[in-house]
Amino acid sequence: MNPLTPKGLPRLLKFQGRQEAPAKGRKSRGLLALLIALLIAYPFLPFVNSYWIDVAFFVGIYVLLGLSLNIILGEVGLFNLGHAAFYAIGAYTTAILYTQFQVPILLLLPLSALIAGGFAYLVTSPIIHLRGDYLCIVTIGIGEIVRITALNNPFDLTKGANGITGVGNPDFGLFAIQSPTQFYYYIWVIIALVIIGLINLQKSRVGRAWNYIREDEIAAEASGINVRHYKLLAFVIGTALAGVAGNIYGSKMMIVSPSNFTFMESCLIFVIVLLGGLGSIPGNLLGATIIVVFPEIFRQFASYRLLFFGAALVAMMVFRPGGILPRKRERAGLRGLGISRLPADEDAFLQEALRAAPVASAGAVQPAENAIVLETQQITMQFGGLVAVNQFDLKVRKGQITALIGPNGAGKTTLFNVITGIYHPHSGKVLFMGEDITRLKPHRIIAKGIARTFQNIRLFPSLTCIENVMSGPHCHAHHGVWPALFHFAGQQKEERTILEAAARRLHQVGLWDYRNELARNLPYGKQKMLEIARALASDPQLLILDEPSSGLNDKETEELMEFLTRLVHEGFTILLIEHDMNVVMGISDRVTVMDMGYKIAEDLPQNIYNNPKVIEAYLGKEE
Amino acid sequence: MNRRVFAMVTLVVTLSALFAGCAGQGAQTETIKIGLQAPLTGDYAAEGQWAKQSVEVAAELINARGGVLGKQIEIVVADDASNPKDSALAAQKLIAQGLQEVIASYGSSVTAPAADLYDANKVVSVGYGCTAVRLTMDKQRPYFFRTAGRDDTQSEFFVKFATEVLNAKRIAIMHDNQDYGKGVADDAMRFLQPYIDSGQVEVVYFDAITPGESDYSAVISQLKELKPDVWFFTAYYAEAALLLKQAREAGLTTIFVGNNSVPTPEFEKIAGVDAIKGSIHLNEPMPQFLDFPESHEFLNAYRAKYNELPGSIWAVYAADALNALAAAIEKAGSTDPDQVANAMRTMTDARGITGPLLFTERGDRKDIPYYAYIYNDQGVLELYSGQ
Amino acid sequence: MQVLLEQLVNGLTIGTFYALVAMGYSMVYGIMKLINFAHGDLFTLGSYLGYTLLVIGGGWVTTTFGVWGGVVVAVLGAMLGIGIAGLLLERVAYAPVYKAGRLPLVVSALGASIFISNGIMAVWGPRFQAYPATSIPSGSILLFGDFRITILKLVTILVAFALMALIYFIVEKTLFGAAVRAMALDRETATLMGIDFRKIILFVFFVGPALGALAGVFAGLNYTRIIFNLGWSYGLKAFTAVILGGIGNIPGAMLGGIMLGLMEALFEGLVSGAWKNVFVFIILIIILIVRPTGLIGEKIAEKV
Repeated sequence: MNPLTPKGLPRLLKFQGRQEAPAKGRKSRGLLALLIALLIAYPFLPFVNSYWIDVAFFVGIYVLLGLSLNIILGEVGLFNLGHAAFYAIGAYTTAILYTQFQVPILLLLPLSALIAGGFAYLVTSPIIHLRGDYLCIVTIGIGEIVRITALNNPFDLTKGANGITGVGNPDFGLFAIQSPTQFYYYIWVIIALVIIGLINLQKSRVGRAWNYIREDEIAAEASGINVRHYKLLAFVIGTALAGVAGNIYGSKMMIVSPSNFTFMESCLIFVIVLLGGLGSIPGNLLGATIIVVFPEIFRQFASYRLLFFGAALVAMMVFRPGGILPRKRERAGLRGLGISRLPADEDAFLQEALRAAPVASAGAVQPAENAIVLETQQITMQFGGLVAVNQFDLKVRKGQITALIGPNGAGKTTLFNVITGIYHPHSGKVLFMGEDITRLKPHRIIAKGIARTFQNIRLFPSLTCIENVMSGPHCHAHHGVWPALFHFAGQQKEERTILEAAARRLHQVGLWDYRNELARNLPYGKQKMLEIARALASDPQLLILDEPSSGLNDKETEELMEFLTRLVHEGFTILLIEHDMNVVMGISDRVTVMDMGYKIAEDLPQNIYNNPKVIEAYLGKEE
Repeated sequence: MNRRVFAMVTLVVTLSALFAGCAGQGAQTETIKIGLQAPLTGDYAAEGQWAKQSVEVAAELINARGGVLGKQIEIVVADDASNPKDSALAAQKLIAQGLQEVIASYGSSVTAPAADLYDANKVVSVGYGCTAVRLTMDKQRPYFFRTAGRDDTQSEFFVKFATEVLNAKRIAIMHDNQDYGKGVADDAMRFLQPYIDSGQVEVVYFDAITPGESDYSAVISQLKELKPDVWFFTAYYAEAALLLKQAREAGLTTIFVGNNSVPTPEFEKIAGVDAIKGSIHLNEPMPQFLDFPESHEFLNAYRAKYNELPGSIWAVYAADALNALAAAIEKAGSTDPDQVANAMRTMTDARGITGPLLFTERGDRKDIPYYAYIYNDQGVLELYSGQ
Repeated sequence: MQVLLEQLVNGLTIGTFYALVAMGYSMVYGIMKLINFAHGDLFTLGSYLGYTLLVIGGGWVTTTFGVWGGVVVAVLGAMLGIGIAGLLLERVAYAPVYKAGRLPLVVSALGASIFISNGIMAVWGPRFQAYPATSIPSGSILLFGDFRITILKLVTILVAFALMALIYFIVEKTLFGAAVRAMALDRETATLMGIDFRKIILFVFFVGPALGALAGVFAGLNYTRIIFNLGWSYGLKAFTAVILGGIGNIPGAMLGGIMLGLMEALFEGLVSGAWKNVFVFIILIIILIVRPTGLIGEKIAEKV
C-alpha cells in the first residue's frame, strides 16, 4: 500500500500508538494456551479414535517437514524442490543403522539429523551460489538421485523398492513408544521443542541474516552478511530437521521404502510452506494440517479428492497469495525482536540507547586528519570488450567529502562496486587505511569500515525499518547458531547492543517513529534516509553514497546536505557520486571527474567548472 | 489471525466428530462389513478401480445367493493412493471403523505397513496384488493371507520353461525397479544360478527400464546388439506393450516372455495385434481359460455390468480374496478374526474364481498352477502348446 | 559401431520430443519466470483431445480425410483446444496471482497441474487409452544397417524442426518477437516502452500450450499409449531441458531437449537403464556448476 495516500498515512501513524499491543499479546497468549491444551487433550477427546490420532501424528510429520523446509524456503528464499531427499536420508539412516547394527532408535534421532545435514552440506556447497530456478532444478535432481539410488539397492543397503522392514520403535528403557497415542505425544513434544528453538533462531542475528538474504541478496552481502555461509547454514539446519522427521517416520511405519520420497512429496512440503505463509510458524502448523486432513476428509470421495485439492490450491493462491497466516512483523513492535527485558515503552528504550552512547561517531580507530583513508591504484574493470573503468586512481582523505562526478555511463557506479567488493577488478588495487582489500568479499569489506548505499535503493522491503538498520551492526557481532537457539545471556546482551545501535541511527536520520513500519511502505525520500541509517549502523570509517540526492525534492536535498555535513563533523569520511551540482559544490571538499572510465580531472570544487576537459566531457567537444 | 487458527481447529474437531460418529453407528447394522483397501488414486489408480469393481461384483453374487451367515455383505472402501503412508492411514481408518476382515492391498511395499497394522489390531487381511516373498516369509503375521502367488513361484516356472521348453541359451531379464518387477527378476536370477554356473545359460542383460516413459528405443537397440534367445519382462503391461511394439517396429524378433501382469486388454490395445502375436506369457490360470463354474459366473456378471473383462488378474484375485473371506466366515460361523483366520488356514473346500482357495500355515495360497499362454496370429490368447 | 550410431539416432528422436515440449515451456517460462507445472498436463490434455477426435464417431475423421488427413485434423484441433485452455488457465489461475510474486504462482501452477491431470482422470478414466491403430500412419524405412525408423517418427522430427525454426524466426527476427524478448528481459521497462503486456501474455499462453498439444498428439501417435499422468514426467523433462539450455531462450530449449535425449539414450543403451536418471541429473549439476546459467544462457549481470 502506498503510505503517501491520505488513507495510508493515518494507518501508518496508528501503528505507532502501542496501546493495544499488550492486550493483543494477552489475547494471543490465551489462544496459544487453548491450542496447547487442545493438543494435549486431543487423544482423550470422546470422538478421537486411533485413526484420528494417527492422522494427527502424520500432521506432526508434515509440520516437522514444513518447518524444516521453511528455514530454507521461507526464511532464506531458496527454492528447494527436493526436500524429500533429506527426509529420505534421515529415514534410511535410521533403517539401515537399526537393522544392520541395532543402534537404538533414540540415538539415531540426532544421528539421522547429523547425516542428513552433513549430506546437504556436501551436495549443496558447490551449487549454493546458483540463482532461483537453477538451484530449484538442482534440488529436484538431488531428490531424484537419492530416490533412484535407494531403488537401485547399492551394496544391498537399501533393499530396493521393497524397502527396509523391521525398523524398531523408540525405546526409553522404562517404556517404548508403540501405540498411536504414544507416537502422537512423542512427535508433538519434539515439535514443541523444535518450535521453541526456531522462534529463538528467528529472533536473532542468524534469523535476521536469513531474512536479509531473502529480501535482497546483494544488499545483504553489502550489509555484512556472509551470504554463502548463511545459505549453507539454513540448508544444513533445515535438512537436519528433515532427517529428524525421517527418523520418526521410519520408526512409526517400521518400513522405509523409496515410494515415500518422490518428487510429489517434495512438492507437497513446498506447498505446506507457501500455504501457511513464508516464514510463519503458525502458518506452517495450519498448512500441514490442511495438507493431511483435507485428503483424509475426502477419502470417501477417493477418485475426486485430488481434483478438489488441486482446485483448492489454486483458489488459495488467488485469494490469499501471502499464505493463510503470514508473519506480521509490523504488529509485533520491538518486543517482536525477542530481546529479553526491553522496557515496555519503546521511547524510553531510545533514551536509554542514546544515554549509552550519546554521540554518534565513526569507528573506533581514528586516523589522523587528512590522512588517506581510501586509495585506488590503477583500477581496471572490463565487461566483455567494454572497459568500464580504466586505470583509475582515486584518493579519499579523512574527514572530507569527496565527490565523484561524470556523465552517465562514465563508470562511477562500477568503480563503487569494485571498491565495495561486488566486482573484482581485472587489475589494480584498492587500499583502505593502507590495507589491500582488493579481493575481499563485500561482507568483509563492510567489516573493515566501508559502508555504502545503492543508486537504486536496495532495502529489505518486507522487514521493519529497525530490522533493516539492525543489519548494520551484524558484521561486528559474533554469536552464532547455538547461543541463538537458546538465547544465552551473552547473546542477549549482544542483541541488545545491536538494537541500541540501530535505534540511535534510526533516531539520527529522523525515522525513529517509523521503526516498526515495513521498509517498503516508506515514501521514497525516507527510504533513502533509511538506507543511509543502515550504512551508518555498521560504524564505518568511510561512507560511500551513490547519488544520495536523486529523486529528492529541494527541501529534502537541503536537509540531506546539512545531514552529510554534520556527519563529517562527527568524524565520518564520505565518498559520493552526485549529479546535482548544487550538492557537489555545496558540500564537497574535493571533486574527481570521470569519463569513459578515465579520470579526467581532480580538483577543488570551484576549479572544476573551468576545467576544459570537464566541459568537453559534459557538453561535447567544440568543433 | 489467532481467531482463524481457532476456527480451523474447531473445524477439524467438528469434522472428526462427524466421521467418528458415522463409524460408530455403522457397526450396528445387520450387514457384514468387509473392508477393501485399494489404490483408487495415484499411479495405480486403474488397478484400484478394477479391484473395486471386481470385489463389488463378487459381493453382489454372494449377496444374491443369500449372503454369508444369512447376512448381506457390505464393502467399505478406503483409498491408499499406492503409497505406504496413505496405506497406514487407510488401514487405521478401516480398523477404527470396527471392521474385522479386510482385503488389502495392491503393491507389496504398500501392503506391508497395512498388514502390520491389521495384524497388531487382530484384523484378518487378505492381499491380492502383493507378491513379494518376504510378506509371508520374513515374519509371522497370523492374520495375513494372500490370494496371489509369490514372485518365486512364477520365477521358478519361468526358469523351467525357458531352459526346458524354449532351450534358451542367452536370456535377457528386464524389470522396472519397482517392488514387484524387481522381485520376480531377482528370483528368476536366483533360480537361473545353477544353469549359469554349469555354463548352460548366459544372462546377457539384467537391467531396469524407467516406468512411465514413452520411448524405449535405446534399450531395444541394446537388445538387438546382445541378441538374446529369450527376453523375459517382469513388470507391468503398460511398459511391456510399448517395448514390444517398438521392438517389433525396430525389427527385433527375440521371443518375448511376459509375466502375469502383462496379458491384459490394455496390453493388446496399446501394442496392437502385429506386435503381440507370438509373445508368450506366464500366468496363473486366467479367468477366461478356467472351466470352473465360479469363473464363468463371475465373468458373466462382470461383463454384464461393465461390458468388458476385468482389466488385470489382480482384480480377480481381489474378488477371490472376498470369496475366501466369505467361505472362512461361513465355516467359522462368526466374523471373529481369530476364528476366521483359523478357518482360512484349515478350510479344504472353498472355491473361487481362480480355483481352490486353500492357504498354507503362513498365509500363502496353496498350489497355484502356472501355464504358458501365447498370442496367436489373430491376437487372441491361447494355451502354449510347443512349437 | 552401428549400435553407437543407432543410439545417437534414438537419442535425437527422444530429444526432439523433449525439445518440442520444452519449447512451449520455455516461451511461458521466459516471460513469466514461472515454473509452469501445468504445461505437462496441458500436453496430456492435448493428447487426449487428439485421441477423442480420432475415435469419435468410430474414427470418422480418419475415414473421411484419410490417415494423414486425420492426423492433421487431430493435431490442429488439439492445438486450438489447448491454446484456448492455456488462455483460460492463465486467466483463472495465474493472472490473479501475478502481483503476489513468484512463489504463489508456482503453487497455483502446481494446483492447476493436479487439477488438470485428475480432471482428465475423471473424464476419460484412470486406465490407459490407446490411439486407434487405424488412425496411425504405418510404414518404416531402413536407415542404415538393419536400423529401421518409422515414417511417422521421421515426420515427427521434421515437423518439430520446422516448428522450432518457425518459432525461432518469429521470436528472433520479427518486431513482435523483439517485443516478446524485451518483455522477457525486463517487463517494467518493456511496458514503459509501450509494449502491451496483455497481448504478449495472450500470445505466449496460446502458442506455448498449443505447441504442447502438438507434442501430445504426436506422442500419442508414436507411442499409442496415453494416461492421465503422462505429462508429469514430460513436464519435468521439459523443465530440465530449459534449464540445461539456459532460461528463456528458444534455441537453448531446443539444444537442452536434444542433449537430454542424447544423454538418456547413450547412457541407457551403453551403460545402465536403472541409473539413467541419476546420471542425467549429475551431468546437469556439473554443467550448472561450470556454467551457472545453462549451456547458452546469457550471463546477465544484475545491475547494482
